[in-house]
Amino acid sequence: MKKSTVFRYLFLAIFNSFVVYSIPLTITFESWFLLSLILLIALLVNIVYFSDRFLPMKWILPGMIFLISFVVFPAVYNTFVSFTNWSTGHILTKSQVVNILESRTFTPEDQQGIEFDLYVFQDTNLEFYYLADIDDQNILFGKAVTFENINDSNFAVHEPSLIQNGDIIPPSGFNLLTGKDQIANSTTLQELSLVIDKNTRAQLFKISVFGASTGLLSSTSQLYTFDESSDSITNNSTNTICMAEVDNFVCDGEEIDPGWRVFVGFDNYQKLFSNQRIRGPLSLVTKWTFQFAFVTVLLAFSVGLFLSLVLNKENLKFQRIYRAIFILPYAIPAFVSVLVWKGLLNPDYGVINTWLSPLYEMLEIEPIQWLKTKESARSAVLLVNTWLGFPYMFLITTGALQSIPKNLIEAARVDGASSLQTFWRIVFPLLMVSISPLLIGSFAFNFNNFTLIFLLSGGGPPVIGSEVAVGWTDILISFSYKLAISGGRGNLFGLASTVSIIIFALVLLISAISFRYTKRLERIYGNI
Amino acid sequence: MEISKFNNWFKEFGWRHLVALIFVVFAIYPILYVLTNSFADFANLTNSKLIPDSLTLKHYKLLSGNPLVPYSDWLFNTYKISIIAAFFNVFLGTLAAYAFSRLQFKGRRASLLTLVIVQMFPSFLAFVAIYLLFFQISDVIPIMGLGTHFGLILVYLGGSIGFNSWLIKGFMDTISPSLDEAAKVDGASEFQIFSKIIAPLTRPILIVIFVITFIGIYSDYILAAIFLKDKNLWTVAVGINTVFVDDFNADWGVIAASSVIAATPIAMLFIFFQKQITGGLTAGSVKG
Repeated sequence: MKKSTVFRYLFLAIFNSFVVYSIPLTITFESWFLLSLILLIALLVNIVYFSDRFLPMKWILPGMIFLISFVVFPAVYNTFVSFTNWSTGHILTKSQVVNILESRTFTPEDQQGIEFDLYVFQDTNLEFYYLADIDDQNILFGKAVTFENINDSNFAVHEPSLIQNGDIIPPSGFNLLTGKDQIANSTTLQELSLVIDKNTRAQLFKISVFGASTGLLSSTSQLYTFDESSDSITNNSTNTICMAEVDNFVCDGEEIDPGWRVFVGFDNYQKLFSNQRIRGPLSLVTKWTFQFAFVTVLLAFSVGLFLSLVLNKENLKFQRIYRAIFILPYAIPAFVSVLVWKGLLNPDYGVINTWLSPLYEMLEIEPIQWLKTKESARSAVLLVNTWLGFPYMFLITTGALQSIPKNLIEAARVDGASSLQTFWRIVFPLLMVSISPLLIGSFAFNFNNFTLIFLLSGGGPPVIGSEVAVGWTDILISFSYKLAISGGRGNLFGLASTVSIIIFALVLLISAISFRYTKRLERIYGNI
Repeated sequence: MEISKFNNWFKEFGWRHLVALIFVVFAIYPILYVLTNSFADFANLTNSKLIPDSLTLKHYKLLSGNPLVPYSDWLFNTYKISIIAAFFNVFLGTLAAYAFSRLQFKGRRASLLTLVIVQMFPSFLAFVAIYLLFFQISDVIPIMGLGTHFGLILVYLGGSIGFNSWLIKGFMDTISPSLDEAAKVDGASEFQIFSKIIAPLTRPILIVIFVITFIGIYSDYILAAIFLKDKNLWTVAVGINTVFVDDFNADWGVIAASSVIAATPIAMLFIFFQKQITGGLTAGSVKG
């Protein structure tokens, strides 16, 4: 066998053992989408690399796996999520919710408050042990454990030999703690309990400096029992039956938390488009997203074009230095520039308000609270993005200007056109032919310019009285981010992914227009 | 006579210098400001100014060895993630580009067109799905789940691989096929043609694409912010924006210093490769 063949089979063996390992786990966690992704990739890899028929695919597949897994697949999954109620309180599947509810416990009334003598020991590892003297038949000794470890702990054992004639005889290697020692360790001891059986445990209740401390017995029972045939759970404490409604169990009209995730059809879409208190923010954000992307491209383009026209002059000194400096803002990572601008714009300490303070005094107005009011935040966002964007526009317009044939301009001059006429009638139209696809590209980029918006203004200032977290400078992608991750009102994954679907649709629309307008698709196709 | 000469000069050149100087100030002021402030010996943003009275390295020193602000860890994380992801991105993209450029197969045009269409949508648009997907991966395969660099690198790999293979393919098309035909006649295998002829000839563009991808990943905020929860695993973009914004005024010198450290290598890379980056490759979406 050839070396490469050995290598190939070895790789496939490792890959497939990995697949076989992960499949049962996805089933346990009910991650069906992940399971289907893993199966799809496993299928592709095995078909392509086991046979010799798909030679080109052997080259393409490694990259394609990542494209499928983390670009195409999330887009599909995103669509799926937009049809669910997936959000805080509805994260789990129904069977996971039943498991959680069935593990909840309560303390029945007749089991509360039995008191007895409790002694505390420490072994050589300084771990705590309890001895509970409940009655003659129950002198129970065992390790005291924290709440998290209760289910893994051994039950306490009956050790009558440890109490003889009312005196405590510590087992060898153990040290009996006095009341003072117990007080010194009281924060730790509060967290510990002695597990007596599945539902019963003993805790330190009152520390006594003279004589034995008091322990308290508490006995717990399973709070909810699930009945599959009637699809309900019974609350054993109050003996009420709670039926499974759409995505929660409901007892006497009250929903039990957590609920589970279900398909809700077009509910999220309906909410976005018809619920007044969500539709308002959405249309506000959508409008601003378009305004922001449009104005930002317009401003950056105007400045860039203006500068390249100004510098487009033969024998102008320092041209190269000017050009080099104009490119600088483009060379710095946006997250850094935005942070710096945030400092300059700071209304109380920033240098911009220091500069403007003579103007404020002259006009007798309050200093502008940059980023804190709607208008100032929107202006600031546009100002900073112009700073970030004009170098790119300067570069491309300079290139385009230089490629316009000189004799065209001279011919116009000879015919008696003024320089303004020459610019608007000849230079500008020619410029737009090569620049407009780039302008549309820039529009599409700014349409989703999350970094700028989120880091500069955080989308703020907040719109007061809205049902969802939204601010005056939020664009669609930052709005979606707030809904899903950081809005402070839980994780509304379903609603957020619905907003993402809207962005997908709009980006598709922009691209379709751009392809139509610039005939780029034909060129691409011709290139293939 | 002198005055009219000046007037002529001003009409011809002078106003251009004036306009250019105004925009030079606009472009460079924030950069200079943060640069000088990172070495300046003032307490906070309130009394900061462009030209400091005395210089100090204390802000840079504060950045190293502060366990609450593990800046050097963030830098290391960022370089690690960006270099690994950009490398594999270019590597896998080159493999795919080779097939698209040199091998004839059914569905070649269709798959290239699909690539172009898929890459119209930035991968972070589906960030909710990416988050939930990796949330589940955390259960099944914890080493590549949410909060790990491994998982984040995987996401970055998917993000621009289509675009990159498209660019590389375009460049490979310009290499004359007579070269590999000659090699084929001499009995070279497909892999040898790739590794001995095509890949070396493509190297200049591969370096440029590596740099562009590297800068893009280095500057990413949204995916890293969703992914990384543990402070010690953060990237610079997440770190400086999460830690320092709380007390902008007091931390100003340190913010300036950390900005300078984060921005300088990228700015130098960018200026060095400026012609290539802004040359044929700009599609309006290259840089974030």
